[in-house]
Amino acid sequence: MEKNRNALKVAVVAVLTAVVVVFTMIVRIPTAKGYINLCDVAICFIAFTFGPWSAFIAAGLGTALADLFSGYAQWAPISFVVHGLEGLFVALIVRQKSPITIPFVTKVLAGIICMATVSLGYFALSAIFISGVSVAAAEIPWNLVQSGVGVVLGLALAGAVKRAYPPVSSLAW
Amino acid sequence: MTTNTFVAGNGFLYRMDPRAKIMAMLLICVWLFLPVTLEGLYITVVLLILVGSVNTGLRHTAKTFRSILPMLVFMVLFMPFNVRLGQSLITIGSFTLITQEGALQAARLGGRFIGITYACTLLFATTPMTDVMLALRWYRLPYKASLVVTLSFTYIPFIADSFTQISESHRLREGGVLEKKRSVFKRLRDLLPTLTSALVVALRSIPYLAMSLEQRGFGRKEKRTNYHSLDSYRHVFTDSVISFSIPVVLWFMFRVR
Repeated sequence: MEKNRNALKVAVVAVLTAVVVVFTMIVRIPTAKGYINLCDVAICFIAFTFGPWSAFIAAGLGTALADLFSGYAQWAPISFVVHGLEGLFVALIVRQKSPITIPFVTKVLAGIICMATVSLGYFALSAIFISGVSVAAAEIPWNLVQSGVGVVLGLALAGAVKRAYPPVSSLAW
Repeated sequence: MTTNTFVAGNGFLYRMDPRAKIMAMLLICVWLFLPVTLEGLYITVVLLILVGSVNTGLRHTAKTFRSILPMLVFMVLFMPFNVRLGQSLITIGSFTLITQEGALQAARLGGRFIGITYACTLLFATTPMTDVMLALRWYRLPYKASLVVTLSFTYIPFIADSFTQISESHRLREGGVLEKKRSVFKRLRDLLPTLTSALVVALRSIPYLAMSLEQRGFGRKEKRTNYHSLDSYRHVFTDSVISFSIPVVLWFMFRVR
């Protein structure tokens, strides 16, 4: 039984990582830092549906791979840490409850934590390692918008997928 | 959507062992943060760009530069205004616009950013992703982690194709409503059914993938699948010594004394 669970875990994380890569590379609006995209939508959906570890690995790995494929390899380690933590924190707050039954306050808290993690995480790490404080600070509004849209759409998507494909609950670990 | 970062070529970097190249990339990235002279930093960056041009061609080198240009411009334009220390370079009346310290910091950050970009890009442009994975396995990346990444590579085109097809069919159903006329929020809201359908298609494949992993021996002691080795690269020791020596030599040449 444990073997079966291990195979399922690997399959879940692999497919969710691919989902994050595709969502990151589908819609791109160029900014000074690179581009804004739908990666936060996928990450929040995974966090609301699949739990903390799936969210951490798939979000971190997926965004890092997307940066690599897009020619922004220098951002891959930063994306891995920031988006990985974003998925982990949001999932820990909502704790795999059904997206429909999550209390409004919890949703708001998850949204605030998600936006804070992305904007402050990118600000701190890119200020230290890549671009310096002023350029990193200029990116905060973009990151807030991107992660805010991500939380709202991610929550809506989690509810819609649960209705369209109920067995999704059995895939969470 | 392309998931391939490899640029075909036959320069010396292509023949270099991927393990040594990963080491070189990491050491160069660390080197760029060490206290080195500005001249030394830019000489190293120019060398990196030259190595890139010789191996992957001018077109790829220029494409890489274009991808970081907006941020570089942003950095060069705004950084000097934020640093108020040091001798003033440009003043308007009594207001100091740019100081020497600010200009130097902007130059250093810009050089470091270009250097990191080319060091990372060169590794993935001159090494097939399979070889990068094998090299990471050699560096003791866990089997499960490697499996997740390689499986993701196979699923990315599948999910991207599903999304494109679903997106096209949804667009046909909309009856030619022009995208430009819709607001960003409306476009994002209209994207929801497409994203839901694409996700359901992707999630449905998970049980089948888990089943096929079990049937291929995942979790058993006697695995039916295994990774190739990097035996085709015959100069791992020499390449590793070169990869280690270059940053060390550059450090002794350009460190701040």
